[in-house]
Amino acid sequence: MSVVPMTTTPIEIEPPVSLWRDAWHRLRRNKLAVFGLIVVVILAFAAIFGPYLTPYDFLSQDLNSRNIAPSLSHLFGTDDLGRDVFSRVVYGTRTAFLVAIVVTFIAVLIGVTLGALAGFFGGWLDRIVMWLTDMTMSIPNLLLVVVINASLKSPITSWMEGRYLATLNPIYRETIWVDFLLVFGSMALISWPPYARLVRAQVLSIRSRPYITAAQALGLTNRIILMRYVVPNALGPLIVAVSAGLGTAMVLESAFSFLGVGVNPPTPSWGNMISDGLRVWQHYPHLLAAPAAVLGLASVAFSFLGDGLNDALNPRGAK
Amino acid sequence: MMMAKPIRPEPPAKTGERLLDVKGLTIEIETRNGPATIVDGIDLHVDKGETLGIVGESGCGKSLTMLSMMRLLPNKIKVTKGEANFAGRDLQKMSNSELRKVRGGEVGFIFQDPMTSLNPVMRIGQQLAEPLIYHRGMSKAEARKRAGELLRLVGIPGAEDRLDAYPHELSGGMRQRVMIAIGLACNPQLLIADEPTTALDVTIQAQIVDLVKDLRDKLGMSVVWITHDLALIAGLVDRINVLYAGTVVEDAPVDALFANPSHPYTQGLLASIPKLSDERSTRLSSIGGTPPEPGRRPKGCPFAPRCPLAETICHERVPALEGLSHGGAHRVACFVAQRKLEAA
Ligand SMILES: Nc1ncnc2c1ncn2[C@@H]1O[C@H](COP(=O)(O)OP(=O)(O)OP(=O)(O)O)[C@@H](O)[C@H]1O
Ligand code: SF4
Ligand SMILES: [Mg+2]
Repeated sequence: MSVVPMTTTPIEIEPPVSLWRDAWHRLRRNKLAVFGLIVVVILAFAAIFGPYLTPYDFLSQDLNSRNIAPSLSHLFGTDDLGRDVFSRVVYGTRTAFLVAIVVTFIAVLIGVTLGALAGFFGGWLDRIVMWLTDMTMSIPNLLLVVVINASLKSPITSWMEGRYLATLNPIYRETIWVDFLLVFGSMALISWPPYARLVRAQVLSIRSRPYITAAQALGLTNRIILMRYVVPNALGPLIVAVSAGLGTAMVLESAFSFLGVGVNPPTPSWGNMISDGLRVWQHYPHLLAAPAAVLGLASVAFSFLGDGLNDALNPRGAK
Repeated sequence: MMMAKPIRPEPPAKTGERLLDVKGLTIEIETRNGPATIVDGIDLHVDKGETLGIVGESGCGKSLTMLSMMRLLPNKIKVTKGEANFAGRDLQKMSNSELRKVRGGEVGFIFQDPMTSLNPVMRIGQQLAEPLIYHRGMSKAEARKRAGELLRLVGIPGAEDRLDAYPHELSGGMRQRVMIAIGLACNPQLLIADEPTTALDVTIQAQIVDLVKDLRDKLGMSVVWITHDLALIAGLVDRINVLYAGTVVEDAPVDALFANPSHPYTQGLLASIPKLSDERSTRLSSIGGTPPEPGRRPKGCPFAPRCPLAETICHERVPALEGLSHGGAHRVACFVAQRKLEAA
């Protein structure tokens, strides 16, 4: 019943390839992105299984072999308590991923929710969200964190100690999770605005793109339009931002540690290892070099991967 | 001189059968100062097999009229009155699921800007296949085959190889052809082309016009072609409606319009068609002033503030669109033009 004349020669029919598979092909051709991906995968593996595979326990001290330079028995040497630095760096990977994932997750959750609401409803809601965003971004991040930590950490800790003495309830004895809560919380609190801005801008602009009207004019259902037109166009930049954001969160944790508000020892984090190492680096450079190199590698890997995803998910920019 | 008004029968339809019949469609936009009228009770019709050209300055409501018929208006803009009947059914009243069958299935759209009207992250083969799968229930493989045929139909070289291209990999002219192919995908009865050539250079414009003419004759559909450019569509359309500030001010068979433009605005439009040159900047130079903004429409004839012939009555009453000649097929909304005819 087609009015259009049929062709005489048969056409080779290949199934349409999805955007995602395309993106994967383009990603694989990008050497830096592949490097980033490999490093990220190795680090993720180390974060999950590393602590079970390392030759030493990250806490076990050996006071007879303190501050040893890297050797075959201690790949990254030992620290001033005779702990194996390699095992601590590997455990630090777990801390880094934990911090990065939790912080980014909270930040993305806040950012996407606020950004989408602002972009979709506009009006006063938009103005409030944008005001909040600008406010948060205009305060120097580290200052905000130090203030939060300083003003909340000791009151909460001493309140808990008081409660413990009064009630002997073990809930109040362990204060490490307060550390984590404060570190994660305050990092998330300063990390959400870029996500909010990004998502708001995405929703705003995609909603009024002519290709959305064109898709409606084709009679497609809202579900198809959402899944095939809005989401793929909005998701790319968010994925890219999240990938880069994971690396940024790891660096941020180190900066916090350096200021004394990061994850506290004895839990190893690259940040607290770096700030400890900084004090003695003239004598024992390996104590600084090992965690700093791994942090640098991780941060570069995430950013290469982010850039690669950006190109891969955006066919316009691909060459 | 007191004559009975001439008898004004309905204009004879080309095939006698109305495909699209818009009556008294009014579109308002919400502004800070309350609702403002953009399109004021417009009447339009297209017969089966007919090609209608719609011309008018930028901002006179051409796109919004077409979008509103298909209920595709942006949030703040609403249809407040009127009906839009397609094949005898009022598009304004039908259910969403019925409407979706008409959209794309029976009425194809070609949009103004080929650069932004295609989904940038979807291969063009898939964008062509989407309506075929949805409206015609084709399998993916069938839809892909048909997509290849459509690209060949609109004259894209190496059609089948282009199915896997993304929009950014094609030139503007090629993208516009893809848009046309998408509009035609389901063999619609009506094709609405909203300035499909403005973004293109002159030789490609002419190619696109020829292409649509060809396809129309081959597929036997009706076409509504919107443009600022009267000269471009002279050879394509059967009839022209001249729009001004959201109303039809003149409706005439294409030859009659060029031979005997009767509304002062139409005369201005024709006078400003540059002769043998592409100087588009001279367009409308012979008509001073600008169209009324929404919400500041004059009380009488909307063209009165710019009209060289305006009289007292023009500022007080709105002229109706009434027949002049050709058995009423040529209609004009102007007191002066109608009086001239009666005097003749
Ligand atoms: N999304 C929108 N929001 C607010 N006003 C709009 C919107 N779209 C159109 N308008 C207004 O409605 C009026 C008619 O617009 P429309 O797009 O129908 O004009 P047009 O005749 O198609 O012009 P053009 O030739 O430039 O495409 C214009 O005055 C325009 O300012
Ligand atoms: S009705 Fe009057 S103002 Fe309007 S176009 Fe005719 S002459 Fe001009
Ligand atoms: Mg328009």
